[in-house]
Amino acid sequence: MSSRSIPGVIEGRLSVSTSKVRKRWGRRVALDGATLTVPEGSAYVLVGPNGAGKTTLMRVLLDLVRADEGTATVSGRDSVRDGAAVRALCGWLPEREDAGYGWMRVQDLLSHHAAYRPAWNAGYADRLLDRLGVRDHTRFGKLSKGEARRVQLVMALAHCPPVLLLDEPTDGLDPLMREQALEVLTDHLATYQTTLLVSTHRVAEVEGLGDHLGVLREGRLEAQLDRETMRARLCRYTIGVPEGWSGAPALNGDVVRRSGGGREMAWTVWGTRQEVIGRLSGAGAEVRDVAPVTLEEAAVSLLALPGADRRAGGGRVQGVQETNGGRK
Amino acid sequence: MIFRIDPASERAIYVQIMDEVKRAMVTDALAPHEALPSVRQLASELKVNPNTVKQAYRELEHEGLVYTERGRGTFVSAWDGRRRDRERAGLVRSLAGRAVQEAIRHGISPAELAEAMRQLADEAEREGVA
Repeated sequence: MSSRSIPGVIEGRLSVSTSKVRKRWGRRVALDGATLTVPEGSAYVLVGPNGAGKTTLMRVLLDLVRADEGTATVSGRDSVRDGAAVRALCGWLPEREDAGYGWMRVQDLLSHHAAYRPAWNAGYADRLLDRLGVRDHTRFGKLSKGEARRVQLVMALAHCPPVLLLDEPTDGLDPLMREQALEVLTDHLATYQTTLLVSTHRVAEVEGLGDHLGVLREGRLEAQLDRETMRARLCRYTIGVPEGWSGAPALNGDVVRRSGGGREMAWTVWGTRQEVIGRLSGAGAEVRDVAPVTLEEAAVSLLALPGADRRAGGGRVQGVQETNGGRK
Repeated sequence: MIFRIDPASERAIYVQIMDEVKRAMVTDALAPHEALPSVRQLASELKVNPNTVKQAYRELEHEGLVYTERGRGTFVSAWDGRRRDRERAGLVRSLAGRAVQEAIRHGISPAELAEAMRQLADEAEREGVA
């Protein structure tokens, strides 16, 4: 009965995409039909609880992990058939540093990395290291976590790839380093034509940067939407309600999150403002304020949808995918 | 000039950037034919998507408030007193609009808010602030 149609697929020219990717690790399902759609030139923020499959999805894109089913493409190239080319097109910042290179000094590690990347811009790499304050004579294995992350960021950026895949890029950085890393990243995006796919738990950090949001849960993309759609259709309504108010049945299935209690509540609801206000008023609520949600609120709300609610009504999740075939 | 924006605000970021430019123009922090910060500079300073800055500049250009010279950057247009007054009035209205919204959220009528504002204005005038 739910009319919810939180977009599950983003249309437009895609730079990074996966289609119905499944991956199991033994009995554990890491990806369960993940369809990711990242338009060219976007800054796509991927959120999800730990273990939702974010890292696996990125690794499938790079063909560092083979999917059991489904396809992945980057800039029109198939990740499996064209793995080397795909990896060359991507700047990749893995969640964990690769062990095995710990004995190398930072400068040697970078030269080694550069040797595989014809487009490597050594001058740019030096400027980035300098800006990020990384000591390049130190052995990689001796760096603090934060320093290693910064070296990895340089490794991802310095060949100016058309696609950036960053897995928790600011993890392990102190506040100042985070700020610097984000500055470097923003500067990079302003200078080079880049599509960014970034997974993070710190959505507020990329509030200004992200223009698309994807919510990955239990191996599936449950929602994918651009900022404009979000502004127009996902709002927080502050409502005053009479004592013992029984809710707004007409909105069942469209309320993404309820907070507050008593006679004032805040509901995050999916739908056009006019329609939602009409339904709330119709149910006896007084709408006091309507505000679009921030990227972070959207992420939190969509992640907070209870599992039972998500699976109610004959699989809303699948409905999401289906309804969006025709979305413009 | 200092751009102040709040990424978590309900106002779209490009609108906030536009308003900041207008504020700078109205308060003479930006003079006619003065350059706006480059897209890259402003984006990395505010940590916002460069496309958002581009959009703000594009809209400002569309409104005739700035002009772009290829390869050189974006500059403040010259404006006459009437245009300036109009933009100023627009800023006042948008600021007031936000106050009214906030008042309603507090269950305060716009008339009550206006009354409080008048009192505050009188006080400020007595103290020689305004």
